[in-house]
Amino acid sequence: MSDEIDALLHDAAALHRFVDFLDLYCRQNSTSQVYVDSAGLFFRYIQELAKGVKAKLEKDVQRATRFPNRLLNIRSEILTIKNYLRLLHTLVKPVADAHTLNIPAPLIDLATHQLGQVDGMDGAKVVILLTPELMYFQRPHTDIKNIARLVEGFVPEASFPSKLGFVELPYSQGPSFFTNLALYHEIGHFVYEELSSSSPPHQGISHLRSSIGTSLRQVTTTTSPQAFAVQVGILESWTQEIFCDLFALRLLGPAFSFSLLEILSLLGLLRDRDYIVFSPTHPASACRLSEHLDLLTKEGWMAAISDVGASAKNLLEHISGRPASQYEMYFDDQHPGPRWLVDAFIAVLPIIRELVKDITGSAAAHVGRFTQWRGPIQAALAEGIVPSVKVDGAVPDPISIINASFCFYLTSIPSLIRTFEGLQPQQVPSLESRSGWTNRLEMWTMKAIEDAQLPSLYSMKG
Amino acid sequence: MPIDPLQTRSQYLSLALFAQKTVSTLIEYVDENRTDSMAAIVQDALGSLKGLEDLSSLTQKRAVAFTSYEHLRTLEQVWSVEERSQAISMLDQLASGDLESDDKKNQAGRLIDLFGRLQNQALWNFEQPKPVSAQVLQQLCQTK
Repeated sequence: MSDEIDALLHDAAALHRFVDFLDLYCRQNSTSQVYVDSAGLFFRYIQELAKGVKAKLEKDVQRATRFPNRLLNIRSEILTIKNYLRLLHTLVKPVADAHTLNIPAPLIDLATHQLGQVDGMDGAKVVILLTPELMYFQRPHTDIKNIARLVEGFVPEASFPSKLGFVELPYSQGPSFFTNLALYHEIGHFVYEELSSSSPPHQGISHLRSSIGTSLRQVTTTTSPQAFAVQVGILESWTQEIFCDLFALRLLGPAFSFSLLEILSLLGLLRDRDYIVFSPTHPASACRLSEHLDLLTKEGWMAAISDVGASAKNLLEHISGRPASQYEMYFDDQHPGPRWLVDAFIAVLPIIRELVKDITGSAAAHVGRFTQWRGPIQAALAEGIVPSVKVDGAVPDPISIINASFCFYLTSIPSLIRTFEGLQPQQVPSLESRSGWTNRLEMWTMKAIEDAQLPSLYSMKG
Repeated sequence: MPIDPLQTRSQYLSLALFAQKTVSTLIEYVDENRTDSMAAIVQDALGSLKGLEDLSSLTQKRAVAFTSYEHLRTLEQVWSVEERSQAISMLDQLASGDLESDDKKNQAGRLIDLFGRLQNQALWNFEQPKPVSAQVLQQLCQTK
């Protein structure tokens, strides 16, 4: 046997062992833990892929013996497939960690249900990953899906599940509720990517993309494809961020804005000097929150919560009040970027707003229902009761529960503590106490949205 | 540019797979006279390379490859402008089918070499995913 064939056999055997492990790991976890359905689809894909890769490796070894002059190509092929498995390897463990004891499963179920009502997203599912980063991400599933499609040409046994998105939650936030509302923004990325890569392409997204190109060509003079690709990439990142914010707001209402402010504050990203700065990946907070305020005002939410005197609401109004003329762009702390990119982006904003409104028609949150249910929900919370209340035989919808609970969290935790701990009005509750009651409030809210979904879950399963 | 390393690596890997698909199809043709998927693969490669001549195609991302910074960077690293023209010309000839079989196989052999180099460079960049530095970004976004 030649050294080259021997080296190929060595590579192939190492990959064989690697996929064997992934297969076993997915098999063990899917039987020992309970997951939301989508994780099972992903695990099954990995197992089918493992089987297919092993079959391919056997064929590669035979091919190398028949055509030894192609050994280098075959080794590159094996390396490429191995690298795909390396990418998947980074996803498998965070998916396995996200079993139902570690994630807010009722919220995921609700988000998945709403996602299915979005134009073009029927049957879509979200796989949750727990990340060690204190940050919410949407794994760019389009890239993985495109790669999976190419891999399918070599490993036909495994077909990547359609309309499957990946959203990462920080592991520390897994069981909490209010900050996890941010996952709606990440689901927005999934929707944007899915509609962008659909066949035929989604008309609204195609229009948005050509508008980005038109707007950019009016300000750039570059003829370099590489430079143009970078400029498009920046504009597309900003576009997606605003798209995702508006998407989350349409589905959730003001609770999303409050959740975002909580996270930005937790991450230390709410610094006055940064409000107006666009980075290569994100629009300025002032721009984002001005879009929030605009949508919430137009859809009647700001009027519905006008009596809420929370600092979060004041902060939203304060940051969004910075005029667009003050916006700046920086590549990092030291390198200023071109303001004309910001101008090109601002020209596209009306198209993003219109697109989000179009695709979220039937999935949108309903301010009228919130106004109707807010009183009974908050009354239940004030008495320490899960707000699965009934009024005239009807139960509140999950979105009203979320918004009413969030407003309660922002304004009424001290009075809740006083009621149950018997503190005097002038006494300040301890941080531990505040934290404990916030946990309770989140649990009541989560239980209530689980209850509110039961009828639709059972009618869905017939 | 603070981007997700997985996203950058995915881009390099998708290019490696695109090149691999092209190489495998051409090898099947040269070694075994199999042409099952050759027309489609040649068209994908041709469409992607010709798409570089029209910047607006980068916003629509209709081509299979060369619509992202990572793909374009790799292409510039490994092929000269002349080689890119040669590849387009050879793919055009393979697509038109107006070559004698031996000539066709010679062209296919040369393309295997070019796309093999592209695949290997993409695999190298996958191992060393360098995000675009702020300085390079600044240069790329300068106007005249």
